[in-house]
Formats: sequence, structure tokens, C-alpha cells
Amino acid sequence: MKKIFLSETIATIVLFITFTINATAQEVVELRQPEAAKAVIKFMFNNGSISDPAGKEGLTQFTTSMIADGGTKTMTKSQIDDALYPWAASISASVDKEVSIFTFECPSAYLDKFYPIMMDVLTSPAFSKEDYLRIQSNQQNYVDEVIRSSSDEEYSKKALEDFLFRNTPYQHMISGTSIGVKNILPDDILAHYKSYYSSKNVLIGLGGNYPADLAARLKTDLQKLGASEKASQLRRALPRPPKGLEIEIVSKENALGSAICMGFPLEITRSSNSFAALMIANSWLGEHRKSYSHLYKKIREERSMNYGDYSYIEWYDNGGSNMLPPPGVPRSSNYFSIWIRPVQTAVGLKKQYSELSDINIGHAHFAIRMALHEMQKLINNGMTDEDFTSTKTFLQSYMKLYIQSTEKQLGYLMDSRFYGRKNYISEMGDLLESVSLDEVNETMKKFWQTKNLYVTIVTDATEAEPLKKSLESNAPSPMSYSNVLKGSMTPEILKEDKEVENYPLNVKSVTIVKSADTFRNTNSDPNGKPVQMENVVPEMKMVK
Amino acid sequence: MKRTLLMLLLGAAFISGTPDQAKKILPYPILQKKLENGLNVVTVPYPSPGLAAFYIVVRAGSRDEIEAGRTGFAHFFEHMMFRGTDKYPKEQYSEILKSTGASANANTSLDRTLYHMTGSADKLDVMFDLEADRFQNLNYSVDGFKTEAGAVKGEYTKNSASPYVQLNEKISETAFKTHTYGHTTMGYFKDIVDMPNQYDYSREFFKRFYRPEYCTIIVVGDVTQERVNELSQKYFGDWKPGTYVSKVQQETPQTEPRYTHIKKEGFPPYMDINFKGPAFSDQNMDMPSLDVLCSILFSEKSDLYKQLVLQEQKCRFINGGAQNSRDPYLISIGASVAKEQDMMYVKTTIMNALESAKSKPFAANVIAETKMNLRNSFAMGIDNPTSIAEALSAYTWLTGDPESINRTYALYEKVTAEDMMRVAQKYFMSNTLTIGTITPSESFNFEKSPSATPQIDKQK
Repeated sequence: MKKIFLSETIATIVLFITFTINATAQEVVELRQPEAAKAVIKFMFNNGSISDPAGKEGLTQFTTSMIADGGTKTMTKSQIDDALYPWAASISASVDKEVSIFTFECPSAYLDKFYPIMMDVLTSPAFSKEDYLRIQSNQQNYVDEVIRSSSDEEYSKKALEDFLFRNTPYQHMISGTSIGVKNILPDDILAHYKSYYSSKNVLIGLGGNYPADLAARLKTDLQKLGASEKASQLRRALPRPPKGLEIEIVSKENALGSAICMGFPLEITRSSNSFAALMIANSWLGEHRKSYSHLYKKIREERSMNYGDYSYIEWYDNGGSNMLPPPGVPRSSNYFSIWIRPVQTAVGLKKQYSELSDINIGHAHFAIRMALHEMQKLINNGMTDEDFTSTKTFLQSYMKLYIQSTEKQLGYLMDSRFYGRKNYISEMGDLLESVSLDEVNETMKKFWQTKNLYVTIVTDATEAEPLKKSLESNAPSPMSYSNVLKGSMTPEILKEDKEVENYPLNVKSVTIVKSADTFRNTNSDPNGKPVQMENVVPEMKMVK
Repeated sequence: MKRTLLMLLLGAAFISGTPDQAKKILPYPILQKKLENGLNVVTVPYPSPGLAAFYIVVRAGSRDEIEAGRTGFAHFFEHMMFRGTDKYPKEQYSEILKSTGASANANTSLDRTLYHMTGSADKLDVMFDLEADRFQNLNYSVDGFKTEAGAVKGEYTKNSASPYVQLNEKISETAFKTHTYGHTTMGYFKDIVDMPNQYDYSREFFKRFYRPEYCTIIVVGDVTQERVNELSQKYFGDWKPGTYVSKVQQETPQTEPRYTHIKKEGFPPYMDINFKGPAFSDQNMDMPSLDVLCSILFSEKSDLYKQLVLQEQKCRFINGGAQNSRDPYLISIGASVAKEQDMMYVKTTIMNALESAKSKPFAANVIAETKMNLRNSFAMGIDNPTSIAEALSAYTWLTGDPESINRTYALYEKVTAEDMMRVAQKYFMSNTLTIGTITPSESFNFEKSPSATPQIDKQK
């Protein structure tokens, strides 16, 4: 399960690189807690949505759902539900870009009875027609309708990944594309299962109260999965380098606000010791849902513009619900991002306040300027010693909260292996202890910038065109406060507003995409046939 | 067998409670002390080395927004609690909170507002200091008040992208005509836009509800009761009780079914069937019986799920349950329907199952398995101090007493087939129905369907 990273000395530009995964017997991560009431068993397969073939985007998600949410050769889905119900045992699965994870949880007292069902689910799925039709319908519905009409914030994040990773296997949503899901046939699922869900491609995780011989038993029984090594051939790619600010506005009917995400490729991941330095800078700039982070203070607290504003140095799954970052989404291909929660549109502000009847755009342009202005200031000036110390101290305690439950602790230990670490939380604690202010400020300068980003804005149809014009022309974007709020702004804030409303952005392109046309531009043509990838993907460099 | 025995022995040692404790759903003693000012202090020592969860439950939520034009105020006030005091102005509060390294936040719902921090047990003193100061001495500026209102508007804006959230607002106002449950905790958008003008009312709100008699402190984790009580007395002992008694107008009886609809193209059709349910109580069998019944009717083991989701695949998902609340609220059944033309079929199938539950007793083994599921689900979820504090908070805001959790689970064990038929007859009544729908059509009318007569209310 060890990964070999390309060294920085390789100079040639390659389209994709190959991650080599040693074909050894399964590794096992153990977190034995004899006093616990339950057992948690996880299987992490090193294949995520990047293993979807072109034209069949969504296949990994589909296959994983067929295993975790379908029947087996000896039990129907309904019979499995019946068996698990009194124990309150659960079978769940998640797919990300680079991994698929199955999680089995059961009260320890029933583990003996649960074990054969678990192994049956994993090694002997039925792939029945009934399961196929149900899962296909739901997955199709998600990519066709749900993602576009449930949460504009989640939509904006998915649209940003589509933009960042365009023409790479990372581009499409994990659930796939409209055409891709339609194209997936039962035989595709069977072939995918044989190729990627193999005993050579799995990390086992055991947590809680379980018998000492469980690991050995699992290793033997998992041989039924076959020994395909196809996952070792998976192509990994960095996001495309943006050329200036490349902006896509997703135009929706009746959107109440403008949901904004922006990002650029980031060369380092948790594998790198420099990650600790970047973590401190990022925590100060935009720690997830923390009132003491800088973007939050500037945009939400001082200016009353929205519900929150955060920055990230890696993918943060389901940030709308999770207060603490969940495990299970390790990625070698990384990017930095800023999430600006929905700000008001012009049409909304006009309805709310008669004094704003002559405004042309809402707050999106100003919010983007504000975020990049503050980030550039941080890069230029560096953190103060006081901020550095308080943020470092905060993170040293806060990270321990990521692993409060057995399931989370086990998940983080397994993710650690993905990154070539043994225990990310404790190792990062040590790295935080030793990192210096100078290192933090240098690391920011090395990896962060504000001139080249992809930006996605999901907004109301009436906002799209005026916002496009404003962004393209770099026109001043003064904040439009209501009368009731204007008097509460301090002279310092109003002075800063003047500076920010004229802050030049390096805008290179602004495109409006109708909601119905999003997620179409993928590795396959409209008929689902694979297309030639553009030669735009840089080499994958993992910086240690 | 040896392993099982060892596990039981270890478990018993680990729990280290009294023999009575072993019979309770929460395997840890709930240690309570009421301070002289009425503040209840709850400690649950739990082996989470170095870690503690510190919760404060305020028994006031959107239910207590009785004045017109003030919907959403309890939630807005929760935001204001982060805006500082004389001792710790906002910036300083944030910096000290940051120094604890805790995960801290707050949330509001119908009946309560909840403030929580999970962090190092050795920072408990700081946490108590911060919380006691803002609960007693909150003092934000008018400007800070006005500015915070924009964050609430932003919260409404992000939430309302979801058609389910939009429908929830409509169902609340359709189902409740006199009770404050008629508006959501988020409140109406027009009231949110007006919030910056309500500074004086906010001070009144603070005086009414941020009082010891409305609050309970819950600390779970690597702590002793002695230390928690000592910190409570030190920081909250001088807190003065108030006099306000919340008088919420109860809902007038509903006499006929009500309907509400949202037109939404490009979104899966959905129906939300609601009956008026009981208020939560751990003193009678109504709510425990409904909980067991709804698990049998709507879980993944249920006949409805097997038929509608797995076999016929008419629904993408179904769910159902009675919401715990201080006053009578709703028993809600949701169904995401694959095709709009199947809405009537799905509704009729669900109604028939509810009707059947009135007269056809469930088998003893089905009831036993459901009780087992409830027990095991709880046991599986309490492997950290935060989740235990969350569970205790829920029963505290419902009854004022965290021991209610043990009483409620004890009642589950007593539920009989007859209890479930009785509550089905009592609560699945068409005159209390409120049905909300989401479809691509301008309107949706079940009554116009040829098979529209629901098989319901045929009482024995």
C-alpha cells in the first residue's frame, strides 16, 4: 500500500502519472478497544471515481452502492436489512475521487453473526437486476436533478471541481454525469468489481471491541476478492493551472443568493511536512466555521454579508453539515479553495430595501475582492507572532477533536497510510510543535497566490449578466448597505470598503452557464464516447 | 464464549455504576445538583482521557416567540450570544475561546437553544468563565446587533435553496394556526429583514429566558461531579433568577385535512404527510408507543419500505416518526416519489398501512426486535462525550430532567401490541392531516384522483 511519488527532479511534462501501489498482502490498521461496546470494520479500496471509464462516469459509485446497498448471492437486500435490524448493525459506503470505503459497525456481542453477512456483502454481491434498477434510478436522479436544486453551496463546490479538473479523470462528480450513469450496464459493474475491488487493493481497518484473531481471519477470507492489480495503473493528475481568474457563473431560476467557490492547484498534501505550516496560515485565514478566522470576521461579522467564509488546504467533505473534518476522503491531487457562503443578489436587495432600488449587482463581486484582498495581504505581510502562536496552540488541541469516536479515529489512521504516514493526527501535532513563524510565512509565499484561480458562482438568472459585465470590466463594486446597516459601519470599515471595491482582480474570462448545461463538459462526448484529453495536465509532483 | 464473558466483565468494570445503573439505557450515572438560584447542574463522568463536553441547554426556542413580527428571534438571539460582554468584548471572547482549542457552537430549534463546547477537560475553568459571563452579562452594541442580522439573513438564504426547507415552512404555517409552532425556528424572511430594528426587544428576550431557571448545565467526560459543581457555584452561583413565565397559546383543534404545495421543476416529487401528535412525555405510553410503531412502519425492515422502495421502486426513500416536542407537534411521514403519477398510489399505500396498524396487532417477535433495535442503536451511538451530552440535552429540554432518557427507554420495553393499536387509532386521524407536496405542477390535488379516498378513520 505504499505509494511512490515522482520526485521533483523529473522535468518532463507528462499527461498523467502512475501511482504505484505495491502488490503485497493486505495491510491492517488496528485500533483495539476491549472496553468498547461495538466493533467498527473498514475496507478502504484504492479506487475512487477517477477509475470510472470515460463515458461511464459514476461507475465506481454505482458499483460501491450495488455492494453496500444491494443483496448478495445468498441473501437479498431485504433479508440483510432484516438480519441487521435487531442488532442495529450498519453497512455503509462512501466513494471519493481516489478511494472507496466500506464501513461495517455492529455491537460486539453480535459480531460472530454479523461477520458472515459482512463477508458475503463484500465478496459475493448479487448484482441483481432489482438492485441495479433502484440504484441506477436514484443515482441518475441525483446527477440530473438533486445536485442542481437542493443546495446552491454544494452545487457551487461540485461546479468548482468540474472546472478545476476539466479534462482529467477527476472532473466529473463522484455520482457521475447524466450521460455516464445512463451508459452504465450490469456487465460494466461486474467488470469494475473484478478489476478494482481486489485483495491487492485494500487496506483493512479494525476498531473497537473485536477478537484478536479477526485480522488474520479477514486476510484469509478476503482472498475471495481476487488479485487484480489494475488499481495500480490508475492515472493521477493535478488540477489544471488557471490562467488568471477564470470564472464560471451558473445561472439558475429563483436563486436567493450567490454561492461562491474559488480555488487553485496545491502541490502539497498531508504527506508533506510543510502541510503543518500551511495549516496554521489557513486556520488563521479561514478555519472552517470558526468566528475567529479572518475571512469570517471581515465578510460576515464586520459587513453582515452572509453566513460564513472559510478557506481550505484540502477537500473538506460535506462542510455544510460537518463541524469537524471527517476522515475517508484522502487525495493525492490537491487544491486550495475559498468558500463564500451565499451573498445577496441585486434583485433580492431591491426587494428588501427601497433605498437600494438603483443597484445593478449584488454582493458577489465585492465578496470575491474582499477575500482575495485579505489573502494577498496575509501572503505579503505574513502572520504576526501573536497570531502564529495562538493559532498553533489552537490547532494542537483542536485536531484531537477530529478523532473523538472509534469510527473517526480508525478512519484517520487509515487515511494516514494513504499519505505514507502512520498516525497523521499525532505526527501533525509534533510538526505543529516544531514549525516556526518564518516557515509558515515562507510556505504561504511558496504555495499561495491570488492571481490565478478558478471561480464558480451559482446565482440567480437576473444577476448573471450584470455580474459578468462587472467582473469582466473590473468595474468598482461598492458595497450596497441598507440604510439601517450603513450607520453601523465604522469609518475604518467604510475606508477599507473603498479600497476593496476598486481592488483589481486578474480576470481573464467570465462565462455564464445555464444550470441545465453544467457538468456536461467531460471526458466523453454527448453520446458518451470517450474524447481525446487536452494536453493541459501538469506532472504530478508530491513535495515532501 | 470466553471472549464474551471477558467482555461482559470488562464492560461491568468500565461502567462501574450501581446495580440499578445496569438496567438503565445510559450505563453511566447522571449526577445532578440544583443550585439555590434554580440552575440545574448535571455531571456524567465518562472515560474520555483529557476530554470533556460542556453543554448549556436553554429551554426557550421559536415556541417562545409569541409576539407578532418576531419570528426567528430565539435563533437570532443565539447569534447575539457571541457578540460580547463588558468583561470579554467580542474580539476577546473569540480569542479566549480559540485558546481553549475547543469545538464550540450553538443551535436553536422549536423548544430550546443549545450552547456547546467540547475540548480539553483542563480548560473547563476557562469554559465556565466564558459561558457564565455571557449568560449573565451579555452586552452587545446596537451596531453589533444590526450587523449580526445580516448573518441570519445569509443563513436563511443558504437554507432556502432546498425545496424541503421551503416546504417545511409551508407545512408549519398550514398545520398550526394559533400555536407558535406555526412558524419555523428560522422565522419568516420579512421578520429576518426587520431584525436590525428590534434591539430593545432583544434585551427583553435576554431578560426573560437567559435565567438560571430556564437553563441546565451538562458536563460529560473526564471530570468529577465535585469539580463541576464547584465551578458551577463559582461562576453561576450569583446568577439571579427571573420571573417570566412563557405563556404559549395552545393550538385549536383541527377539524379537516389541510394541504399545501410547492411547484418545483427539476426536483423529485415529494410528499410529506403530517398528523397532529402528542407532546413528549415520559409519564405515559403515547410517545414511546408511537416511536416503536413508527420504527416498525417505516424502518428499512418495514413492509412499506420493502414494497415501495425495494420491490415496486415507486419511492426513492420513505421515513416517518413523531417529533419530540414540549407541546403537541407533528407525526411526519416523508416519501420521495419516483414519478408524479404515482403520488396517489404511494399515499394510499401508506394510509392503508396506517389504517391496518389500528386493528391488526404486530407479532411479538417484530415488537421484540424493534425494542432491541432501539436499545442497540443507542448503545452504538454513545462512544464519545459529545454524543452523550447531545442525548442528555434532548431529554433535558423536553422535561427539564436528564434522567428522562432512562425513563423513556424503560417505557419502550413496556410497549405492547395493544398500545400501538391504541395510539394509531388516536393519532392517525384525517381531520388532523396536513399534507405538503412538491411536484413540477402548479398545484397538486389528491382529491381529484380516482382512488382518492384514503382508507383511514375507520375506527373499531
